[in-house]
Amino acid sequence: MSDINIYFQIPGYQKAEKFIAKLEKKVALQIAFKEYSVKKFFDSFDWRLYKAGLLCELNCSQTLSQLRLIEMQSGQQIASAKTDEVPTFADDIGDSGIKSKLKPVLEMRALIPLTLLPYRAYHINILNNDQKTTVRIRIKEYEDLPHRLCIQTIRGYQNAALRISKLLEKSLGLTPINKSVLHAALKLQGRKPLDYSSKLNIELAPNMRADMACKKIYKHLLRAIKVNESGAIAAIDSEFLHDLRVAVRRTRSGLSQIKNVFPSQITQDFAVFFAWLGQVTSKARDMDVYVLNFTSYKQSLPDSMQDHIAPLYAFLKRKQVTAQKELSAKLKSPEYLSKLRAWESFLKEPVIEKPVEPNATRNIRQLACKRIWKNYRRVLKEGTAITGRSAPEALHELRKTCKKLRYLMEFFQSLYPKNEISQLIKVLKNFQDILGDFQDYEIQEQNLRKFGEEMMRESTPTETFLAMGVVVQNLCQKRLGARREFSSRFEKFKQPANQAIFKTLFSGELRA
Amino acid sequence: MAIIATYNIKGGVGKTSTAVNLAHLAATIGYKTLLWDLDPQGASSYYFRIKPKIKGGGKELISGDRELDGLIKGTDFDNLDMLPADFSFRNLDLVLDARKKPTQRLAKLLKPLVKEYELIFLDCPPNISLLSEAVFEASDILLSPIIPSTLSLRTLKQLKKFLKTKNLKDIKLLPFFSMADIRKKMHREIMGNLVLEHPEVLDTVIYYASDIERMGYERLPIAEFIKKSRSTESYQKLWQEIEVLIP
Repeated sequence: MSDINIYFQIPGYQKAEKFIAKLEKKVALQIAFKEYSVKKFFDSFDWRLYKAGLLCELNCSQTLSQLRLIEMQSGQQIASAKTDEVPTFADDIGDSGIKSKLKPVLEMRALIPLTLLPYRAYHINILNNDQKTTVRIRIKEYEDLPHRLCIQTIRGYQNAALRISKLLEKSLGLTPINKSVLHAALKLQGRKPLDYSSKLNIELAPNMRADMACKKIYKHLLRAIKVNESGAIAAIDSEFLHDLRVAVRRTRSGLSQIKNVFPSQITQDFAVFFAWLGQVTSKARDMDVYVLNFTSYKQSLPDSMQDHIAPLYAFLKRKQVTAQKELSAKLKSPEYLSKLRAWESFLKEPVIEKPVEPNATRNIRQLACKRIWKNYRRVLKEGTAITGRSAPEALHELRKTCKKLRYLMEFFQSLYPKNEISQLIKVLKNFQDILGDFQDYEIQEQNLRKFGEEMMRESTPTETFLAMGVVVQNLCQKRLGARREFSSRFEKFKQPANQAIFKTLFSGELRA
Repeated sequence: MAIIATYNIKGGVGKTSTAVNLAHLAATIGYKTLLWDLDPQGASSYYFRIKPKIKGGGKELISGDRELDGLIKGTDFDNLDMLPADFSFRNLDLVLDARKKPTQRLAKLLKPLVKEYELIFLDCPPNISLLSEAVFEASDILLSPIIPSTLSLRTLKQLKKFLKTKNLKDIKLLPFFSMADIRKKMHREIMGNLVLEHPEVLDTVIYYASDIERMGYERLPIAEFIKKSRSTESYQKLWQEIEVLIP
């Protein structure tokens, strides 16, 4: 049975000492000690801990420096460890309790400090007639935030804690609070939790003009590019670049899929720019992926060979560093910055009142339905044409078509009933996964062979190549497995029930 | 995880001060610790200022009607909880006797707590009874304070014989000298002889000291009111000797 904490806010920035004097008139207490502390909150850039209902805080006082993991809802501590520093990645956390909780949530994302709060803490014991502590109280006097009080229940003395809680609320005018101080601290910075998500959530009105709707979509994607830019340059973690590239791909896909909305010269011009941006960022991403995959490569080997593959890691890391340097240079280059600024200016411009482009003033829902329906039918057609003997290229083409369909569905999801569109996106995602796996394995096989050739020039031990050969073989097995699974996944995707929903949602406007 | 019982057939040999100070010491260095005051006199409960009373008394506790978890009280110290005594514990023998497999009862009751605590100290009442037998079955270590007196040799022999007859091989008996008076020639002689005869006796000696007696006045473990003394150092040494023997 865990001890329960109850949290209060002290009204009107009342000084802790003054409050304690008031409390002392009501109950027997003892100030155990006072200390200056600093609290730092951490989360990933995309709020993975917050989304999982967790708070990660480092409390540093003169006597103790402790990393704590707290369940947000209840305020209860679920793990803690003495440490002065918070490593960037979950893998590097020494304490196994914290690591095991953080690793599955954070995955490859870095822990980033969110806010730093200095405070003065008062540790107070409430005593009974035997001078035994029955309740512990912590008062935190923050510099710029309302002060807070926490009742820490001592096991077996729950009633005493409830009595104190009642006293604080009824006689001393304290307000119970259930939100962490993190919320208040972020508000002070003009931020709020979950202010970034890689998921698309664009609210469009069905009768919106297509050019306006498209600008709204591209603005959203541009923001994703911009907010991930510095993290990608600094290589804080691999997801900054990944999210940046996804936003670039989505923009490219939008420009090619939703045509005749903007002047053709503009569309073409920026299509070229985003294609360039996709290309100059790809090498760094590829290397990130290989470095991230390395652990699974190693684990796929028999125990006796696992150490032999270490030179590959060193090779990948070296290539990653070079690719990262090139990437940083590109993302700081005048050609990138000026073109992105031009794109931003274009998106900010009001739409032309009477444009010549035929789709510009069309109602966005009509256009969305048309494009999605067309792509959906193309997916069905290409998928049906694939047999056991089809070349890998056919699957790659289908993969690209699916991606286009997916992006369109995500851009326009607010125009359709939430449950249905979410269900279809899920169905499509499940199908895409197998196509993605098939291609990823194939590319990895090819590139590992290529890396092998490069490593031959570096006097790499033979045993490393043998180990790499086994990795390639394992990847080949996985690719063949994905290929075998294709038909069953496609059958699942195109099952009549799904087709019916696609038809209801996207073909209706055409008939009308 | 280890269950350590402080036990001696005789009373007034320093069982409670040993249990209280070692449990406190272990908790201070980070062991999640529980101290169960099985003595109806409730001395260790008194030291921690916890009322020697539990809901439902010994009967409900032994019957399993009331889970131990709900009876635990937090002490004033981190990592250290306590299961307080109750006056009804004077009848624990009768309550145990009325049950099937009485000597296995305590181990069964402690089982759910083993997950939560790294160390459980059992502060036992003096005498040799059904309860003692249940304690021996449940414990990994039997820590037995011995006053260096002529009777102590006899008592230790009795205890060893008892453990042997009951086939309690799993428990590790760790006797140590307690309340020893270095000024008394007799104490020095007995300690010397006893160690030769019983090599399992621990090296650390807890000498008679007024600061240990003061625990009753302060109602605190010794380390909480004296930073450093011969007594605090002896308890630390004693703990170090025991810690390495924990299974």
